[in-house]
Amino acid sequence: MTRAPAPLATTVQERSALIVGQSLPADDAWPIVTGALEFVTDRRVDGMLHAAIAHATVPHALIQSIDVTAARAVPGVVAVLLGGDVPVNALGDDDGDGPVIVDTVVRQLGDPIALVAAVDEATAQAAAAAVTAAYLPLPIVDSARSALEPGAPQLHDKGNVAGHLAFASGDVDAAIRGAYLTVERHVRTPVQEHVALETPGGIAMPDGVGVTVWCGSQFPGVHRRKIARALNIDIADVRLISNPVGGAFGSRNDDPMPVYLAVLAWATRRPVHLKMSREDVMLIGQKRHPFDITTRTGFSSDGRIVASDMTALVDTGPYTTSGPNVLKTSAELSVGPYRMPMARFDGTVVYTNNANGGAFRGYGVPQSAFAIETAMTQAAADLGIDPVELRLMNILRGGDEHALYRHHVTTSLRAAETLQAAAEHAWWRDRAAWRAAATGPWLRGTGIALAMKGVGLGSGKGDTSRARLIVSREGVVQIWAGPNHTGQSIDSSYRQVAADTLGIPMDRIRMTVGDSQLVPEAGSTSSSRSMYAGGEVVRRACVELLDRIETSTGTRVVDPSTCRALIDSGDAEILAEFRLPDSDLGMIPPGQLVTFAPHLVFGCSAQVARLEVNRYTGELHVCGIVCAIDCGTAINPAGVIGQAEGGVTQGLGYAVMEEHLIAGGRPLTKSLETYAIPTSRDVPPIETILVDGSEPTGPMGAKGMSEVVVVPTAPAIAAAVLDAAGVLPDRIPITPERMMRWMSGEQEAIA
Amino acid sequence: MSTDTSSMRAVAGDYEVDDLVAVTMTVNGTAVEAKIPARMLLSDFLRHELRLTGTHVGCEHGVCGACTVHLGGRPTRSCLTLAVQADGCEIRTVEGLADFDGTLHPVQQSFRECHALQCGFCTPGFMMSVAGLLEEGIGNDLSDSELREHLAGNLCRCTGYQNIVAATRKAIDLRDGKEG
Repeated sequence: MTRAPAPLATTVQERSALIVGQSLPADDAWPIVTGALEFVTDRRVDGMLHAAIAHATVPHALIQSIDVTAARAVPGVVAVLLGGDVPVNALGDDDGDGPVIVDTVVRQLGDPIALVAAVDEATAQAAAAAVTAAYLPLPIVDSARSALEPGAPQLHDKGNVAGHLAFASGDVDAAIRGAYLTVERHVRTPVQEHVALETPGGIAMPDGVGVTVWCGSQFPGVHRRKIARALNIDIADVRLISNPVGGAFGSRNDDPMPVYLAVLAWATRRPVHLKMSREDVMLIGQKRHPFDITTRTGFSSDGRIVASDMTALVDTGPYTTSGPNVLKTSAELSVGPYRMPMARFDGTVVYTNNANGGAFRGYGVPQSAFAIETAMTQAAADLGIDPVELRLMNILRGGDEHALYRHHVTTSLRAAETLQAAAEHAWWRDRAAWRAAATGPWLRGTGIALAMKGVGLGSGKGDTSRARLIVSREGVVQIWAGPNHTGQSIDSSYRQVAADTLGIPMDRIRMTVGDSQLVPEAGSTSSSRSMYAGGEVVRRACVELLDRIETSTGTRVVDPSTCRALIDSGDAEILAEFRLPDSDLGMIPPGQLVTFAPHLVFGCSAQVARLEVNRYTGELHVCGIVCAIDCGTAINPAGVIGQAEGGVTQGLGYAVMEEHLIAGGRPLTKSLETYAIPTSRDVPPIETILVDGSEPTGPMGAKGMSEVVVVPTAPAIAAAVLDAAGVLPDRIPITPERMMRWMSGEQEAIA
Repeated sequence: MSTDTSSMRAVAGDYEVDDLVAVTMTVNGTAVEAKIPARMLLSDFLRHELRLTGTHVGCEHGVCGACTVHLGGRPTRSCLTLAVQADGCEIRTVEGLADFDGTLHPVQQSFRECHALQCGFCTPGFMMSVAGLLEEGIGNDLSDSELREHLAGNLCRCTGYQNIVAATRKAIDLRDGKEG
């Protein structure tokens, strides 16, 4: 069943209201509720093969030999591919990026040692299980600290350091020596799994010269380059169709699945279907990087921050993926949304045989924000200053200099207003009454935290979005634009922007995203850039259309007659581009902007958490969360609120329950039975507040917000735990076991 | 609707399972006859043999609820059910929720209108669970925490559940003729 096409208007309709700012159902909502939407892993074609991955059974070893005799002998097996069967067996230019199929070294349990294609799924799996290898085991590097020890086994040619980033904007040591109060914190954050509900997979088909791949991707341009490299073909011959897909949250950024599919189809010359099991994803899917952070924050006696000094050690596991880039956003937000005379950051990303780190909503900010925000919470307690007051007296305002790089941030930053909006909510104002009403074993508390997160890939990267637009003789506007839709119905919001720019109803606008053959390279669905970068390029394409119609007809009206005139003039196809604006250099040396990739534009969120802690069992009930957001104009408020509620829920899981555990290179949390994510029962009421604002460089004033909402949740919950139980957590998730230890004083939680 | 997989050979481990079992069932009101491997999951039968891909598989072990269908009128995890167990039974999937004329079921209407979906992968399973609750006679006198308890068998990673709770309340109202 599909939605009946809307009748075409033949004349311009009167529009009584703006469409931007209205809460509209997602374009996909109808096919979703009827079950008609075909996800990439649902797609099947006649004659296709089924694939399976043969996994390494040890975490770290040299491969002496791989025996595929038994696998190839299974009836129905069409191909068993080894590393040597991939034309260029590399996922990137650097050894640290790893091969497509490992052939010399295993660096994590489950590394693919062979890809199998067979006539059906059971045969493929049986054959994959029959692939055996002789391994020469290597010592296992099971922590970031041990990776840096002298004599540690080296995971890659260049050693165990995947990246290092350091910057200081003043003599931080001297400033902290002179501080009235220095808050020192040592915090550790866990490995978090995305749990996008559709596991990686899809289908690939060879064509005459190249390959077409249906597979989720948050960065089709990069995935196409990886496929072209592996197959040694022209990128133009790689078509990637990357939606509809069941969630992403960063997981479809570093995922090699599109490459696996392409290699299988290329080698067999047949359509090939592959879908990872949940266990496979838990084993080798990329996850949020765990951080070990030491931070010192110096304050004057009246509560002004004099300096921040943060050191971070990051475990990216066996391969580089996003590790060094994650460090850039961690560094930038190590100072939070605060002003201070100077700051320093020093971060190191290392290789281990633990879970592979990768892009995950927030991209390094949840980790550094947990450190700086819990430091703010503790400073407020130590100084006897209200935590909102302390933050406001140090708050970064629009146009201010960033504390670390000293570049200027966008004038649209509304951190102060966002914090105030959260603090005006009854759940913050009534915190004393909430605390006093505690009964029985349940202690009650309330906490608040604030965060910001850059929009776009960062300055110096040439971050660009693109769109293509044509009109029909019936006056219908077709737009192909990106970034892609990975579950946030971004295409629906693009149509809202187009409708208001063109002054026509939404049913006269068709929007296509996610097909690399149709959509010009538009960059990633990441870094909170989709609404900002994609919305703005759609707006620019629409403005160009109005300009051309005006040139052609003397009016700025989009209707069948003006569209026909434009078509007859041969001028009816538009290619638009939006290069995201860079910030100024600040103190960054010329030529090194891309090394640090600071942002001009930031979204912001402040959150209040109220909760109960059981003094005897350590159980924690989060009872309510307020989420205030600075996203500029909310193009589709229902979409923004949905992103906020989902982000808070992921932040809640990060704060109190989610932790991927691994011991000696072997995961302990292998499925959704042992890796628990929040259910409806675990999530309290969430009250979202949209703060008024407008970003001058964004479409109709919009900027990104879908990452920052995941950030303040954990530090707000930690602050509420301090209020309730008198201990400030230095680790997340805040499990009952950890709560009990902290409350019993076994481990000093307040540094 | 009919499908014959007699040409299909299922291999598990190092031995073949050649036994095909004849089953008959009613799927979304249509009689289905098939010969299927004894170990085929109901979710795979619906998705791969009948091509009813609205039923999704998110975890393969009964945790996420994305594969929920109605078996004999009761919400059931189709990834934990063998297709042969459904022999002689009536099955309803998301594709069978709407009326034949395309009129949406109250739960479809409410999930769409309440923004109770984002990527949409968990949505069919959630709707089948909520449709089951509606048929059981669940009412809006339930507190939010009771309602959340009822919904806790399905995972959603996108929405944070707020709008799913709201959509469930709206679906109850629609069933009771209080709205729409």
